[in-house]
Amino acid sequence: MYAIIVYDVSVERVNKVKKFLRTYMTWVQNSVFEGELTKSEFETVKIGLKNIIDEDYDSVIIFSSNTSKYINRKILGVDKNELTDIL
Amino acid sequence: MKYNKYLNSEGKLYRKENTVYFMDTKGKKTPIPVEKIYALYCYKEVSFTSSVVILLAKYNIPIHYFGRYGNYVGTFYPKGENYSGKVIVQQSENYLNSDKRHYIAKEFVKGSILNISKNLSRYKLDYDKEKYITALQKVNRITDIMNVEALMRNDYYNNFDNIFKNFKYEKRSRRPPENEINALISFGNSLLYSTVISEIFNTHLNPSVSYLHEPYERRYSLALDIADVFKPIFVDRLIFNLVNKKIINENHFEKDLNSCLLNDEGRAIFLSKYNERLQKTIKHRKLNRNVSYQRLLRLECYKLEKHIMGIEQYEPFVIWW
Repeated sequence: MYAIIVYDVSVERVNKVKKFLRTYMTWVQNSVFEGELTKSEFETVKIGLKNIIDEDYDSVIIFSSNTSKYINRKILGVDKNELTDIL
Repeated sequence: MKYNKYLNSEGKLYRKENTVYFMDTKGKKTPIPVEKIYALYCYKEVSFTSSVVILLAKYNIPIHYFGRYGNYVGTFYPKGENYSGKVIVQQSENYLNSDKRHYIAKEFVKGSILNISKNLSRYKLDYDKEKYITALQKVNRITDIMNVEALMRNDYYNNFDNIFKNFKYEKRSRRPPENEINALISFGNSLLYSTVISEIFNTHLNPSVSYLHEPYERRYSLALDIADVFKPIFVDRLIFNLVNKKIINENHFEKDLNSCLLNDEGRAIFLSKYNERLQKTIKHRKLNRNVSYQRLLRLECYKLEKHIMGIEQYEPFVIWW
């Protein structure tokens, strides 16, 4: 499935969340990651995030769709990180 | 789902934040999510640090290296965990017993013949597949089997001038390729070869014990055997597409005195289209579910393994669409 994760967490945990998400998804903007995940990876990401954040204080929103086909992606301004397999 | 990553520019791979970073010569850093890498393909000078190798080994990610001419140079492959003495013994037994070896070798050639004739029938070109299949049944020496293969491949390549509209094929030339079509074929074949290697490493098969090609030292000849069956589907069809739809044109080649090679831009186009093709899915008739083209390679390895272990007779993959 295709997932977009946005997070707003306290400063002391923000790098931990970023570091964790970097191993699974692509960074697109400050506090925004997106990418294709399998069902099991999706669960791992959710559990991993739960362990890092303080659930009384932080907030993480996960948008997900079965396929990226139904998501229109349009960029205004600068494309900070191109999603490509060829570097 | 994991994806192949192609490094088409000079740079350095290093480890940061528990994942892989690629930095090119201009200093642009690109993080690559390590959980999503299937294999890395390096076409330029790419150096890596030992810490990144340790990380890649943990995730079982191979790095394939290619030379200046797009030729396959080698693979860094992490310590495999799929060794099975039983399979290696059976695999060698199938090689040493000449009847068994001939059966597998003939099936590989049969697979290429059928796939090739399917390719040509798309362009309404005649190809006498029966002639080669009967010739194949008569021979019983490896050199003769290879002869039949060479003849039928020659016949196939001779039809290429009728398929391509913009470029001339003339004749097969290698090391270095002399014209555009030959450059594309050589590039595609070496790419497919390394894709097959990554698949073989995921099975119990030993990549150096082969049947059609003679197993030499220091090379994965089983990958050559399997790649032969898939060349018409993965590489040739892609080239027909790229050339006839004018996606690749003269500007994408670097011409020298008597050699012709893809340049950076051309290589990037080829790789992205090849990658698209690997991820394309079809409904598998036997499994009754959707599988990607890349998965077909793995299934072929499993079929061979089953044959070697005496579970099910091997029949080559033949394209049905």
